[in-house]
Amino acid sequence: MKKFAICLALVVVLGLAGAALAEEPIRIGVYLPLTGQNAFGGQLERDGILMGNKEKPEVLGRKIEVIVVDNKSDKVEAANAVVRLIEKEKVHAILGTYGSSLAMAGGEVSEKAGIPVLGTSCTNPLVTQGKKYYFRACYIDPLQGSAAAKFAMDVLGAKQAAVLKDVAQDYSVGLSAYFKRAFEAAGGQVVSDLNYQSGDQDFTAQLTTIIGQGAEVLFIPSYFAEGAIIIKQARELGGTFHIMGADAMDNPDMITIGGKDIEGFVYSTFPYAPDMPGMSEMAKTFTENWKVQFPDKDPNANSAIGYDSYMLLVDAIERAGSTDPEAITKALAETMNWEGVTGSTTINETHDAVKPVGFKRVEGGKQVYVGSVIPEM
Amino acid sequence: MAADKKTFLNLASVVLLGLFLWWAQGHLDGYKIQILNLVAINIILALSLNLIYGFTGLFSLGHAGFMAIGAYVSSLLILPAAQKATIFLLEPLVWPLSVLQAPFFVAVLAGGIAAALFGFLISFPVLRLGGDYLGIATLGFAEIVRVVGNNLSGITNGALGLKGIPNYANIGWNYGWCLFTLYFIARLVNSNFGNVLKAIRDDETAARAMGIDVLRCKVVSFTIGAFFAGVGGALLASLLTTIDPKMFLFLLTFNVLMIVVAGGLGSLSGTVISGIVITVLLEWLRFVENPVTIGSLSIPGIPGMRMVLFSLALLFIILFRREGIMGMKEITWDGLACACRRKGGDDRD
Repeated sequence: MKKFAICLALVVVLGLAGAALAEEPIRIGVYLPLTGQNAFGGQLERDGILMGNKEKPEVLGRKIEVIVVDNKSDKVEAANAVVRLIEKEKVHAILGTYGSSLAMAGGEVSEKAGIPVLGTSCTNPLVTQGKKYYFRACYIDPLQGSAAAKFAMDVLGAKQAAVLKDVAQDYSVGLSAYFKRAFEAAGGQVVSDLNYQSGDQDFTAQLTTIIGQGAEVLFIPSYFAEGAIIIKQARELGGTFHIMGADAMDNPDMITIGGKDIEGFVYSTFPYAPDMPGMSEMAKTFTENWKVQFPDKDPNANSAIGYDSYMLLVDAIERAGSTDPEAITKALAETMNWEGVTGSTTINETHDAVKPVGFKRVEGGKQVYVGSVIPEM
Repeated sequence: MAADKKTFLNLASVVLLGLFLWWAQGHLDGYKIQILNLVAINIILALSLNLIYGFTGLFSLGHAGFMAIGAYVSSLLILPAAQKATIFLLEPLVWPLSVLQAPFFVAVLAGGIAAALFGFLISFPVLRLGGDYLGIATLGFAEIVRVVGNNLSGITNGALGLKGIPNYANIGWNYGWCLFTLYFIARLVNSNFGNVLKAIRDDETAARAMGIDVLRCKVVSFTIGAFFAGVGGALLASLLTTIDPKMFLFLLTFNVLMIVVAGGLGSLSGTVISGIVITVLLEWLRFVENPVTIGSLSIPGIPGMRMVLFSLALLFIILFRREGIMGMKEITWDGLACACRRKGGDDRD
């Protein structure tokens, strides 16, 4: 009888332990700039991630718990956020962040801890360089710069380009350099390469020079607020050249700021738009669900890349068959032709996403998807 | 209390701190270690600003500039040549910086000296100004450093910044420099020269009338403060392993100034206490941004809420203790002994 009681107790204890183990959620950490200068992008990406979690709340028969930490658009906070997620929240993997400089600070911490991170929209090539555990769901600046140069030459027919960059933003400086390199390599000529500083409001000096140089296309890798002002001033000064931008311009407020002057503006972004033709089933589902959850705001490329990052990470955990960081890392590295909202994604040997670069044009006060380019780097 | 007894107690405190840090290294998780490291760096930065502002009365807002100089000089000296070649994507790093490499201690020292040199050079024109004008001039200097950092891509890599800086700034280095800073500044402010600085702070005209070379003393204080700000910047760069000019905005100076004011202008003990409290509080308050579920009611987390609470805490300090946590007072062994005796007396009553 005593033996039976002991056996029964053991069975109960083991059963409860097993149940507890099965119940233990898979924790995914998210570090994004929810306040500070990059908050507009960080908040949209967070919304996309949380929507993904709502749609797919379980993997491997376990609940997924998403822990979001604000990095305040600050390097020190970004490093602290990643350490906190790893050490205090005991996450199995991490998503983030918007902003390459923040990703670099966080990446050093995760690398040391051996926890896989999937970057959302940190496009600087240095983010994943020499890293075993850092990946990204977005393309890198050389790819985007090359695609923009290809579009400028092949679609817009431009042979002479001008570049106006924000010398204080790593994103702007890097992207403009890659555009310039690709444009010149394709036989084009960059007639003007001018600078401004974050916070500037008057761009007439630079724009007057650009108009005088006879550029056929102006490339402005700016954030949407300053970019819209540049376009407005360029048109007011009589500039008739094409104006191109990049993914940081993909914000509905750009049209509000720029008004009618922004008509015809083209920019590269992740290949997603809520009204794009030939939309995949996943993109359709995402768009419909977004409109239900956030009826007051349109989805954009940032929310789509946030959603894709979450779904791709969950898919990697599923393929890994466990929450072991090494297994997840291996699964992420083996990602091939994964179909998401922002198109097909393959993770290459440098842990960067190889995917099409989308283009949108402002037509009739709306951001219209015009197609995508798969550039050669 | 006898001097040798104080020396013994000071050494015992250092040994105890060393033992705690040794224990922490082996037993605390990376998150707490990170906070401990930031505490040390923030104390260094705040002590250096307290020397300039709290003890000499120079309202300087240029600390971020000195930190940037220290961070860049030190980082360029400890970065391996191969890493330098990799990260300078737009323009190659100028010779001899491209091949130069130094041990961490030398690099931090060089960062401090470079910052001190700039502090010395700008002090002559800037320190002729006073009050708010001095604040604006030093703020201008910090902005110039940042803008130059953005544009000198052959040295600083421009807005792309430096990445992959070796992570040498561990607890040992950070607290070693922290203790040295505290010791040096404590000895300085308690010396005759320290009394001169306090005299300048309290009444510059009277100090000048007594034959004090006010400008010279201000320059020395400003230069020493700049040196330690450079050291703090160098340690921060190595701790984070990545820097760029955007990191050294006015907000960084403001964060250091906040520690100094909250601790008490002219109090080293206050600065140390405030450095610990503010650094820990900023992280500890993160819980207020987490979503809360009470039964069926779910309250979403509000990003930035901890900064609201933190600001309220600072407001509370300023309203109810305008002079800061310690005012101008210091925690001394004599004071502690006196307090213990009083406590003992109270217990016997």
